[in-house]
Amino acid sequence: MSDSDPRADKLLRLNAALDDELDAAHRLELERELARDPQLRASLRRLSAVSEAVRRHAPREAAPAALRDAVAALGHPREARRRAVLPIAAALAAGVAIGAAAQALLAPSRAADPVAAALTADFARAELSDRPYDVASSDRHVVKPWLATRAPLGVEAVDLADKGYPLAGGRVAVVGATPLPTLVYQRREHWIAVTELPLSLADGATDAREGALSGFRVIRWADRERGYVAVSDIDADELWAFVAAFRTAEGVNRGEAR
Amino acid sequence: MISDAARRRYQAIVPPYVDDAYALARWLSGNPADAEDIVQEAALRAVNALETANVERPRAWFLRIVRNAALTWMAKNRSKSLAFAGGVDDLAAIESVDFADDEQSPETLLIAAEDGERVRRAIAALAPPLREALVLREINGLAYREIAEATETPIGTVMSRLARARATLAKILEDKP
Repeated sequence: MSDSDPRADKLLRLNAALDDELDAAHRLELERELARDPQLRASLRRLSAVSEAVRRHAPREAAPAALRDAVAALGHPREARRRAVLPIAAALAAGVAIGAAAQALLAPSRAADPVAAALTADFARAELSDRPYDVASSDRHVVKPWLATRAPLGVEAVDLADKGYPLAGGRVAVVGATPLPTLVYQRREHWIAVTELPLSLADGATDAREGALSGFRVIRWADRERGYVAVSDIDADELWAFVAAFRTAEGVNRGEAR
Repeated sequence: MISDAARRRYQAIVPPYVDDAYALARWLSGNPADAEDIVQEAALRAVNALETANVERPRAWFLRIVRNAALTWMAKNRSKSLAFAGGVDDLAAIESVDFADDEQSPETLLIAAEDGERVRRAIAALAPPLREALVLREINGLAYREIAEATETPIGTVMSRLARARATLAKILEDKP
């Protein structure tokens, strides 16, 4: 094509120059040619005018929101692709106080929450490594002492198997320099990690609050003695139901222990 | 069934380029509703391909899938004349670069280039292989080798199509409206 036609060849190089695809040597050569060839300069002006007109009048339009959502949804794990029920409906069903749920809905997502961010990152890492726990056991009498020797808090490894959340194991999450006991429960093929925090790391609010970080669902709450953060990739309504079950069972356990 | 590993790879590779995909599909198909169908189909193909595919340049990779989905879609839903006319054979005629009439002053062109509707009509009137090269370059901002990958075409062909597309646009815009 262009081998036999120096004029066409020059135009190819003009286009390449316009697209910043010429190496330095060829660019220099072309600049010299442009300096002595007015017709070539006119060609370059025409090409730039066309290029400029296309960019100005045919800008890249954003995809419609529905398409964007549909495309993103394909990347979600199977269970999470179910349309999420409003958290408030789930909270009602799970018996969580409406005040707390309403507050969770209204609370802005707290981007500057280093504890939640660290635990979400921990969850993502554990999930990707296919090793979501350091000690694998469905027996709370195994998990609890394992954690007790590695993290300072006295975690209550509550049994939620009859509620549909068998205990899968435990691991130690680290926030800053503090090792934190973390229980890992299973929900079908998903994991739910519950990390216990000293009050110094908890944010002081006893109402449960929901947020989303990096595609994971986070709910945090506290009682008088400690704080908790639950992280999972299951739907918001399911995680609320889990938190309700956990809080109930945990309260019963601590009551017995006293 | 699609594995969660493929979905995770997909999540990192495809959603960031949904605007690029939509823009390309719009210019290839000529209308927004078709473009949505094409991009959805392409996304589905992408997540399936990611079970095994090894992706080096995500944007070029995904846009190639969008382009192929558009070709399939148009072959199925449009009369032949509107689809990419024929195939490789017809392209030979297009590749033979003819840059005659380069003498005109740019004035008429500059005036016409102010008219957005005219510019968009002129782009739409380009032969599909020229239009796709132009859109990938000017609207999606791809480098030559990305365009070559997205269109499964040698770089020399990409260059001549792009040159040809711009020369043709200039000519259309310089003609009386």
